[in-house]
Amino acid sequence: MAVPISQMWTVASYVLKKRFSGQKRYPLVLMLEPLFRCNLACAGCGKVQYPPHVLKRMLSPEECFAAVEEAGAPMVSIPGGEPLLHPQIVEIVNGLIARKKYIYLCTNALELKRRIHEFTPSKYLTFSVHLDGQRDHHDFSVCREGGWDLAVDGIKEAVKRGFRVTTNATFFDGTDPNSVRAFFDEVMDMGVEGVVLSPGYSYEKAPDQKHFMGRARVRRLFRAILSNRKPNWKFNMSPLFLEFLMGDRKYECTPWGSPAYNIFGWQRPCYLLQDGYADSFKELMETTKWEEYGVASGNPKCANCMVSCGYEPTAVIEGFGSLKGFWGMVRGTFSKYKDPHAQKLLAEWKTEPHAPLVQIETTNRSLEETNA
Amino acid sequence: MTAEVQKYTLEQIEALEVAPGFEHEKLEGWVPSLASDEEVRDALEKAFDYRGDVTITTKSGDKIEAYVFNRQTGATLQDSFITYFAPNVNGKLKMSYAEIARLEFSGKDRAAGKHWEDWVKAYNERKAAGEKDIALHPDKLE
Repeated sequence: MAVPISQMWTVASYVLKKRFSGQKRYPLVLMLEPLFRCNLACAGCGKVQYPPHVLKRMLSPEECFAAVEEAGAPMVSIPGGEPLLHPQIVEIVNGLIARKKYIYLCTNALELKRRIHEFTPSKYLTFSVHLDGQRDHHDFSVCREGGWDLAVDGIKEAVKRGFRVTTNATFFDGTDPNSVRAFFDEVMDMGVEGVVLSPGYSYEKAPDQKHFMGRARVRRLFRAILSNRKPNWKFNMSPLFLEFLMGDRKYECTPWGSPAYNIFGWQRPCYLLQDGYADSFKELMETTKWEEYGVASGNPKCANCMVSCGYEPTAVIEGFGSLKGFWGMVRGTFSKYKDPHAQKLLAEWKTEPHAPLVQIETTNRSLEETNA
Repeated sequence: MTAEVQKYTLEQIEALEVAPGFEHEKLEGWVPSLASDEEVRDALEKAFDYRGDVTITTKSGDKIEAYVFNRQTGATLQDSFITYFAPNVNGKLKMSYAEIARLEFSGKDRAAGKHWEDWVKAYNERKAAGEKDIALHPDKLE
């Protein structure tokens, strides 16, 4: 695992404190979206589909600080939109560092190289650069040729200047696991601290997407990607979450683990699902009908989700909240997950010329058996 | 919610290879009938899901352009309300369902017409034509 000891200690002591105080629901990562505007126009992205007067709105630094203090989570992820388009992003980041929050600034990095001199390296600040695989795959995924080169320039400059940098990838149906493994080699060579990854989600607001990768297919894909790991690969994630993706663990969603705050308020119930907004974090926690979300709830909107924002908090809470979980985390950190079946799966994987984000075909095989 | 998913058991969901997506309703230009309380509630639920502005005519005759980002439904229309942003107004605004006389999905649906399939098709065509630096660009905000 690539997470520094100081950050692990902060998160572990936070989880234990909450556990001993008997608090049932608490956030681990605040998803702070200071704006929705973006300099990419990825087909199928539901985050940027707003009228111009909404895309022009931004959270002020003071609103960001108030939300961070209200939630109290030890980590803050700043997605968007593209946070580097916010004119006061440096002030927001510096204010959060002063509050000793571990920040993941999620960026497509098109602007990173140009703006990196405005930031100061800190153990609290990580640039989490969106890279959806190797050059062609990434460019195709973000609908912009040349996007990968700009992002990699930004990564290299940030690494050179001593910043913590991770890459952050979302993988959809059609992903070639062999290419993803080659991608891990490439980003490790760039000197990043670790890789963050997640399966895509059947996002309701995404336009006209017919079909998505079901849970069995997610497990098969990630078993192929994450088994038989190379020694130099590092993941900036809980090993237990990665085991969940590989199908080795059954987890339920912890939707309050990554609450989202943006220009509309506190998003119910989570970063991905939009079922309305609360005016305060307290109201979000106390009045959201949490039992109506997650796979076990039977809510169709949650049926296929295995996304990190809901399931990594479950893994982290297990990892730091019990001896068994902690041992699993330690073991997972050092395991290479040797698996001959996964090796065979990789060797026989049928690649596609380009990896479409969604599977467009008939649903006749929707319940077909799987070896995953 | 799609009926196809609802009929699956948890075990079936776990074994699902390809999961159904969501149908995108074509609402742009729609003027719903607001004759009954139920129609008002249904229309405002759709306005909440809509990715464009709507034009609200209040019972006092005012016309308001609004991006509806939240709704809270109560027992009656009086205690149900929407929260919205209006162009050129800074803060969040609120209106009771009972104040609304007419609703029109007047703004451009920002989720429509951005099909992934269209991007794949266009990309392949432009690539085959020898075009370089193929990209989709965000709409201008001005």
